[in-house]
Amino acid sequence: MALNPMDIYKLLPKTNCKKCGEATCMSFAFKLLNREKRLEDCKPLYEDKKYERQRKKLEEMLKPLEEATETGLIVNEDLCVGCGNCVVVCPVHVEKDPKGAAVGNGPTIDDPILRVEDGVVKVINMQACRRYGKNRVLCVVCRENCPTDAIRFLEG
Amino acid sequence: MIMICPGCSCLCDDITIKDGKIFNACRRGEEIFGRYKENRARAMVDGKEVDVDAAIGKAVEILKEAKNPAIYGLDTTVVEAQKLAVELAEKLNAYIDDNSSFCLGELVEAVLKKEMPTATLDDVRDNAYVIIYWGSNPFHSLPRHMSRYSYYPRGAKRPRGYDEDRYLVVVDVRKSETAVLAKKNAKFIQVDDDAELVDSFFKAMDGKAAKYAQDVGIILNEMKKADFNVIFGGLGLKYGLKDLKMFVELVKKLNEVAPVYFIPAGFHANMRGFNETLFEKTGYVNKYSFRDGSSDDSFAFTELLMNEKIDAALIVGTDPIYSLPHDVSAKLGKIKTIVVDPRMSFTARVADVVIPSAISGIEMSGTMVRSDGVRIKLEAIEEREVNDIHILKKIMEGL
Repeated sequence: MALNPMDIYKLLPKTNCKKCGEATCMSFAFKLLNREKRLEDCKPLYEDKKYERQRKKLEEMLKPLEEATETGLIVNEDLCVGCGNCVVVCPVHVEKDPKGAAVGNGPTIDDPILRVEDGVVKVINMQACRRYGKNRVLCVVCRENCPTDAIRFLEG
Repeated sequence: MIMICPGCSCLCDDITIKDGKIFNACRRGEEIFGRYKENRARAMVDGKEVDVDAAIGKAVEILKEAKNPAIYGLDTTVVEAQKLAVELAEKLNAYIDDNSSFCLGELVEAVLKKEMPTATLDDVRDNAYVIIYWGSNPFHSLPRHMSRYSYYPRGAKRPRGYDEDRYLVVVDVRKSETAVLAKKNAKFIQVDDDAELVDSFFKAMDGKAAKYAQDVGIILNEMKKADFNVIFGGLGLKYGLKDLKMFVELVKKLNEVAPVYFIPAGFHANMRGFNETLFEKTGYVNKYSFRDGSSDDSFAFTELLMNEKIDAALIVGTDPIYSLPHDVSAKLGKIKTIVVDPRMSFTARVADVVIPSAISGIEMSGTMVRSDGVRIKLEAIEEREVNDIHILKKIMEGL
């Protein structure tokens, strides 16, 4: 399921108390999703009993954040059949590995972003992904061309 | 170590095995490389374990006594073994058939008889623009087909790959996993009856109205843009059309508009190898009777079983109890069965004689034929002495 900041915001105290260091609860919701803040930074949520139900819901909702990589990529190995579409379409692979992944073969470079290992896709080198770091591009081609939705991103 | 995968008719040649891990193989290929040592067959006669030579001896005895023997399977073994099996069938005056009689045999036959122009998958990767998957779902049958050879890779004349240089068409009765991928520069046609779509193509080319005229018109316009288009036909195409001739005519007529090639897609690793081997020898691709000197629908292994025309079967590398309907496979109990298989398959468990063999491509080197007709030499990881070639030679000597 896709996560979006609005859904997170709705469960926060919405008091803009600034105890987390952010000006508003909405801004805190965004930072939560980007993993710049943690849920524990919201003090009232843990101190005030009336927020307990909301807190539990939020904890449940934010669970995928823990399994996702730093770029927000989640691979469900149970659904993957190892077709390699994601490996071949990745624009970074095409640029770095013109004789391998770009023409449909397995990657010939040592540090591809994705590689099919033992029949399922594995994340090898997340730092090379266009979604990594400050100047990221929200590229989704690997997800777009996955026939089983084995690849997901946090934002959907 | 770089290996060729004998998992399906893609015969991917970039499988790397390093430090106990298998790279680049799909789940289907990984299953073969990772688990080939599991569930191995043991030599057996009437359910009792014996040594291999005794099992071969018993097989020879059964074949000698049989009045109407049949040889069946052979789609996963190498061409060298298939040739021996054809010779054996000739010697026995037997029926010979493989899975292609209910799989894509007819489509391969049309290609071998040059009724339709064909090309290699490497040509497809380098040149193809419009790529049609008709009644074929490579997601299940040929997992790496799209990423290695057709839609996704960037080819010599198609450097931008699927981004701009390809046009994907998926024809199916349901929204298959492949149809889901038909997004940008693509079209998914959900058909009720394949004949209607063939008809629409004919009518659209003549400028007449038809059920799928709009979609077909777009596809025809796209085809005109390129000098290389390809149709991959699968089981849906074979069973969707009552008469394959209309499809052959369609490909011919499409070639008047733009170059269109046809490649069958979706079968066992070396099914085309069997078709070609038998075609070279007899002029037919499957369901052949050496006694009658011809091929006929009634000589298909399933028909022979149903009509109780045979009294013994030599089954090589296939598992009819698993793959055929119960009504048909139950009849195996009425005849003498000899199973040559690396694994303890369901058929092996009920067979009169089981001869354990080697897994082609992993324990036995040899040649296989890819779905587009390219012959590929497979090298074994570890050669096993008792393989299909050895067993068939021994049976031949015994006779």
